[in-house]
Amino acid sequence: MSCFKPMPMNKIHSLTTYLLLVSLLLFRFEETFSQHTGFKPIVNFPDFKVQFKLESSKINSIVSDFAQEKVLTALTENIKSEGKFLFKRNNKVRIEYRKPFSYLVMMNGEKMLVRDNQKDNRINVKSNKLFQQINRIMIDCVQGTMLDSKDFTVKVFEDGNTFLLEMTPVSKALSQFFQTIVLLVEKKDYSAKSIEMREPNGDKTVITFINKKLNAEIADAVFAL
Amino acid sequence: MPKLPMRYLPYSLLLMVAFSCASEYKLLQPAMLDQNCVSKIRPHGLTTAWFTTSVDVVGKHLSGLLLIKNQPDSSTRVVFTNEAGITFFDFEFTKNGTFAVKRIVSQLDKKPIIQTLRKDFELTLGIPFRGVTPEAWTMNTEKWYGVKQKNEISYFITDTECASLLRLELGSTRKKKTEVFIRGKHPHDPDSVQIKHYNFAMQIELRKLMRE
Repeated sequence: MSCFKPMPMNKIHSLTTYLLLVSLLLFRFEETFSQHTGFKPIVNFPDFKVQFKLESSKINSIVSDFAQEKVLTALTENIKSEGKFLFKRNNKVRIEYRKPFSYLVMMNGEKMLVRDNQKDNRINVKSNKLFQQINRIMIDCVQGTMLDSKDFTVKVFEDGNTFLLEMTPVSKALSQFFQTIVLLVEKKDYSAKSIEMREPNGDKTVITFINKKLNAEIADAVFAL
Repeated sequence: MPKLPMRYLPYSLLLMVAFSCASEYKLLQPAMLDQNCVSKIRPHGLTTAWFTTSVDVVGKHLSGLLLIKNQPDSSTRVVFTNEAGITFFDFEFTKNGTFAVKRIVSQLDKKPIIQTLRKDFELTLGIPFRGVTPEAWTMNTEKWYGVKQKNEISYFITDTECASLLRLELGSTRKKKTEVFIRGKHPHDPDSVQIKHYNFAMQIELRKLMRE
């Protein structure tokens, strides 16, 4: 005769539910901490905000190469591109893709120029709310004003050399494009190191800034539309 | 200038209507099916590739990158993103002919837009010609092979010698709706693709992206 009594079905059900809950909780716990591996939340957000604004305001211009990689997770495909990035305070941005295709986006105040192989397309950002928001994201990311953004809620993490800003869109319009935008900022000079745009379906695009020069002289003509 | 008497007006109108309704396919002459030509030229999809893409639609210009990807389960995915990497749409065309919208941004999520793009890519990928025997016609120096679907016909068109695929076409029984030109040495691995609409102002240009 067996020493073990068979467990009633209702207890088996409770145990299964319990184990399922524990494993789910453990999974959530692990996920929370592995979300940004090596990063921990900053201790004092208000102090960070003041410091971040102050240090970012010292960057008046950026000249940088960039490498971009778009990863389509489900399709196991990626596409890499590269180009030149220029920023001049206030509100002047030039993003020029050079390889493997030619494409230029320029923002200068309320105006925007998009140039592909075939055509120039001039857009008045003011007349298009979505362009206005996308324009604002790029300016905020490089100008260090994203902590004041009304379009995103921002969580800040850090490791030894880097701040990590996790930006989650508030509006439905932006949520369809981005699940989160993760901005890495160098602690040494508060300049953007990379921007990772995570899409709702798990795809992502990472733009990494290389050979960055801060506060170099850039003629306004470079941003002429 | 002499005035046209009013009594001729109904005849003039009738003449105008007759001309505007004249079928663009009236010169198609039924022909014997050349099975060798069909086997050689019948479009059977494109190889996986990225394309730079420009879309001109009713005076608006849009550019981006298009991925045509053949999946291990024999389905084909067509994904359109902008240059900065944001996905606008992701369509799936399965082996058995079903179509699914995997993802689309709200600005493009309109039935007429989806249907137009679906038909454009189905024709480009040769989906209407899969597993069916087409009908054959000749017109001038061209051989036409067509497959009927509801009230439309999809054609692939070759030269008399059946040396190359000249173009693909979608039409109603009377009017041409869309033409697709697949250019390059290998039709399944083209350098460029041009999709031209005739019932409204829309043109899509794809150029194969050379990756390092």
